[in-house]
Amino acid sequence: MKKSAILLIGIIAVAIGVIISTYADSSTYGSFNDAKDSAAELHVVGRLDLAKDMVYNPKKDANYFSFYVNDNKGTACKIVFTGTKPQDFERSEQIVLTGKMVGEEFHASKILMKCPSKYNKDQVEVKSTLQQS
Amino acid sequence: MDTVFIGEHLWPGKLGQFFVVLSFAAALLATLSYYFETIKDKPDGSWLKIARSAYFINLMSIIGIGSCLFYIIYNHLFEYHYAWAHSSKSLPVYYIISCFWEGQEGSFWLWTFWQSVLGFVLVRKAKSWEPPVMAVIMLSQTFLASMLLGVEILGIRVGSSPFILLRDAVQAPIFARPDYLSMVADGNGLNPLLQNYWMVIHPPTLFLGFASMIVPFAYALAGLWQKRYTEWISMALPWALFAVMVLGAGIIMGSFWAYEALNFGGFWAWDPVENASLIPWITLIAAVHVLLAYKHSGQAYFTATFLTLVSFVLVLYASFLTRSGILGETSVHSFTDLGMFWQLLVFISVFTLIAIILVLTRWKYMPFSAKEEETYSREFWLFVGAIVLGLACLQILATTSIPVFNKIFGTEIAPPTQVIAHYNKWQLPFALVVAFISGFSQFLKYKKTDIRSFYVQLGRAALIAAVLTGLAGYIGGIYTNPMFMLLMFSSVFSVVCNIGILYNAILGKWKLAGSALAHIGFALLLIGAMVAAATNKVISVNTSGIGFGQEFAKDNNPRENIILYLNEPIKMDKYTVTYLGDSVSGPNTLYRVNYQVIDPETAKVTENFDLYPNAQQNVKMRQIIASPDTRHYLWKDIYTHVSSVPLKEEAAHEPHEGHSEEEDFGKPSIRAVKLGDTIAVRDAKIVVKAIKKGVHVNNMALSANDVSVALSLEVLSKAKTQLIDPVFVIKDGNVYDFGKTIEELGLKIRFTNINPKSNSLELTIFQRPPAEKKWIVMKAIVFPYINFFWGGTILMTIGFFLAILRRRNELKTA
Repeated sequence: MKKSAILLIGIIAVAIGVIISTYADSSTYGSFNDAKDSAAELHVVGRLDLAKDMVYNPKKDANYFSFYVNDNKGTACKIVFTGTKPQDFERSEQIVLTGKMVGEEFHASKILMKCPSKYNKDQVEVKSTLQQS
Repeated sequence: MDTVFIGEHLWPGKLGQFFVVLSFAAALLATLSYYFETIKDKPDGSWLKIARSAYFINLMSIIGIGSCLFYIIYNHLFEYHYAWAHSSKSLPVYYIISCFWEGQEGSFWLWTFWQSVLGFVLVRKAKSWEPPVMAVIMLSQTFLASMLLGVEILGIRVGSSPFILLRDAVQAPIFARPDYLSMVADGNGLNPLLQNYWMVIHPPTLFLGFASMIVPFAYALAGLWQKRYTEWISMALPWALFAVMVLGAGIIMGSFWAYEALNFGGFWAWDPVENASLIPWITLIAAVHVLLAYKHSGQAYFTATFLTLVSFVLVLYASFLTRSGILGETSVHSFTDLGMFWQLLVFISVFTLIAIILVLTRWKYMPFSAKEEETYSREFWLFVGAIVLGLACLQILATTSIPVFNKIFGTEIAPPTQVIAHYNKWQLPFALVVAFISGFSQFLKYKKTDIRSFYVQLGRAALIAAVLTGLAGYIGGIYTNPMFMLLMFSSVFSVVCNIGILYNAILGKWKLAGSALAHIGFALLLIGAMVAAATNKVISVNTSGIGFGQEFAKDNNPRENIILYLNEPIKMDKYTVTYLGDSVSGPNTLYRVNYQVIDPETAKVTENFDLYPNAQQNVKMRQIIASPDTRHYLWKDIYTHVSSVPLKEEAAHEPHEGHSEEEDFGKPSIRAVKLGDTIAVRDAKIVVKAIKKGVHVNNMALSANDVSVALSLEVLSKAKTQLIDPVFVIKDGNVYDFGKTIEELGLKIRFTNINPKSNSLELTIFQRPPAEKKWIVMKAIVFPYINFFWGGTILMTIGFFLAILRRRNELKTA
C-alpha cells in the first residue's frame, strides 16, 4: 500500500472520530422539566426572576449562591451555584445555566450571562435641567 | 420640520463620512485597475498609474477616517453615537485609544488600516507581482470599506458607520429638543475590563496579524492566476512567517490580558472567540511547513496551496463568527450584532469562490510530483506534521462551529458541558504528536537521509529527554498522569533535538537558528501550558463552617472562595493571608491583601508581600468588576482576585423633610444616674462628673424662673477621654434639651429629665448599631511554571523573526 493511502485512511479515521466526539460530547438545550428527566448535565436558557429571593451571604457561606430562574417554557426553578454571585448578575437579560437537577433544585456548574451591557444598551442618561428650585 | 440643534459639531462627522465613501470608491477603483493591469496582454503601465493613485487615495482616506474618529472621541463629542457609546469624559488619554476598537466599526477600521499599510510595502517592493497581488488585497479593502459605509442601497443597509449621530442611532423623546446635547452629560464609558494596558496593544497586534494573513493568500492566488505556479511560494514564505509571528504574539497578548485583567482564573478558556483566531494561526503554521517542504523537494504542492488559501478564508470565517452575532449564547465576549450577517457572509463567499475557481481551473497545471516521498525524508514529516496540525484545527473548528450548524440545519445542539475537558482530550494527543515530529524531523534531511545516523541521533536525544522528563515530571508534579508524562516527554524531546540544532547554528550555520528557536519556544509553551493548567491549585479553599446544610455540602464541589475579615489573618496553604484595608484610586477600589510565609519553627517571617486585587464599584448599577493582582515568581505565580465585596452605598443621603438625626440611631436607652455614677455603653464608659446650674444657652433668653442645667460627662473610650455637657432647660414651663454627639463612637447623649424625688438625673443614650466589620471574598490560585508558557511564546516569536530574515535573504540572493 502506498504511504499516501495509509495517511489518507488515517486522516479520515481521525476526522470521523472528531465528528463523533463533537456530537457525543455535545449537550442539549432544555427546560427544567427536561432536566428532571435527565441524569446528565444540560443547558437551560432562561430569565432571572428578580421578584424572588436571591441569596448570597458570604458571611454565612462564601460559596453558596441561590436564585430563581424562569426557563423559556415559563417554569420557575430554584438554582444553586457553588461559588460567588457573578458580577453584573441582576442586569443579565438572559441566563444560560449548565447543570442538573438535584431534588427540586437545579445545581448549576456554570452560569453564562448575556448582558445588555451598559456599553451597548441604547438608553441615554439625561442630566436633569429641571433641577429642583 | 427641521429642528436646529444647539451645540453640535457636525463637520468632523461629515468629513469622516466623506472619507468613508472615498475610501470605498478608491478601493473599488484600485481593485478594477489592478485587475485590468493584470489581464492586459501588453501592460503599458496606464492602468497601473490609476491603480496606484486610487490605492494612495484609499490609504489617505483611511487615515482621514481614523483622524476624524479620534478627534470626535478625544473631544468628547457625544453627539456622535460612537463617542457616546464607547468613551466618557473621565477616561485617561491612553485609554481613548482603546475606545477606538471597542466597537466593531473601530476594529474594522484597524483591520483596513493595517491592510493598507501592508499594501504600501507591496506597492513599493512587489515589482512584477504588484498588479495581481494588489488586485486581491484591494478587493478585500473594498469589502472592509463597505463595512464602514452605513448607507442604504436599494433598501438594504450596508455597513455601519462610526460617524452616525446619537440622535439618529437612538430613539428617545429628548432628541426632539433643540438643546438635547446640553442634557447628555457623559458617554457610556469604556468597558472597565478593557481599561488595561494590554488592551491598548493587543487589538492592534492581533489585527496586524489578521491583516497580514491576506498577503500569502494573495500571492497564492496571483501565482495560480498568472501561471507562476512555483514562483509564488518563495515570495509568500516570509509574509506567511510574518503573519504567523504577529498573529501568534497577538493571540498570546490576549491570553495574557485575560490572565492579568479578567478573573476567570486562567490563560486560555477555549472560548469560541479565542478559538476563532487560533484556527487560522495553526493552519498558516502548517502552511509554512509545507511551503518549505515544496520549496526544497517539489513535493506537496497542493497541500501547500490549499493551506495557504484556507488560512485566509478562516480569518474571514473568524470575523464572521465574532461579528455576526451567531455565537450568541456560546461566547461571553463576541461583538454585538450590527446586522451585517449577510454582508459578512458575502465577504467570505466571494473570497472562497475565487480561491476554489482558480484552484479548479488550474488543477491540471499544478506541479504534482509523481514519486512518493521517502519515509526518511524531512519533506515527508513536514507534510505529516502539517496534516496533524490541520486535523487539530478541524477538531477546534467542529466544536466552535456548533452554533453555525444549528443555524444551517435548524438544530438545537448545545456545546459540550465540559468544554475545556472536551478540547483538551483532543488537543493533548495532537500536541504530543506535533511536538514529537518537530523534534525528530530535525535529524532528517530533504530527499534522503542516512538511516543509521538518524537512529543514532534519535536514540541519543530520546535518552536525554527520558531522563529530563522523569525529572521534570517529578518537579512539576504531573508524574501520576501518563498522558501528561507523554506530552512532557515529547515536548522535552523536541527541546533537546532543537537545542542540538541551535548549538550548531551558533557554531556557524546561523541560518538554522530561527526554526530551532521557534520549535524550542513552542515546546516550552506546551510544557508551561500543560503544567500550569494541570497543577494550578486553588489555595483559598473554604474550610470554615458550612452554613447551608448537608444537602448542599455533600456534592463535594470545590469551595473555592473564602471570606476574609479586616485584620483577621487566615491560613491558606503555606501563606498567612490578611485583609488590611482598601484604598480608592480613580474608579478602582484596591483591596490590600497581605501574604506572609512564617517559618513554623523559628516563627520568623520569611516572605512578606501585599497584593492589590481591585474592583470597580458602580454604585448605580450595584455591581463590581473585579481584576486580579498577581505576584510573579520565576517558577510560579500567585494569583488573587476578589469575588465579592460589600457594595458601597450611594455617597450622599438626600436630605428630606421630617427626617430626624435620631432615625440613624437605634432605640435609645434611658438611664437614671446620680453624680459619680459610671455607666457602660458599647466601646466606652460614661462617668457622671458634675452638674452646672444656670448655664447660658445660645439664642435662649432665660428668666430667673427658668432652669438650665448642664451635666459634665466624661466619656472614656479605648482611644481617648472626652468631656461633653448635654443641657437640660425648663423655660416658661416647657422642657427643652440639647444633646451632645460623639461621632466616632456613634454615641449621642441627651440630658432629658431631673427627678427631684429620687434625686436622680435621666440620660437618654442613643448609639448607632455597630459598624459592619469589613470583609472581602476572594479567590487565590497558584500557577506553577506558567513562565514557561510566556517565555516559550517570546522565544517562538524571536524564532519566527529570525526565520523571516533568513527567507527574505534567500529571496534577495536568488
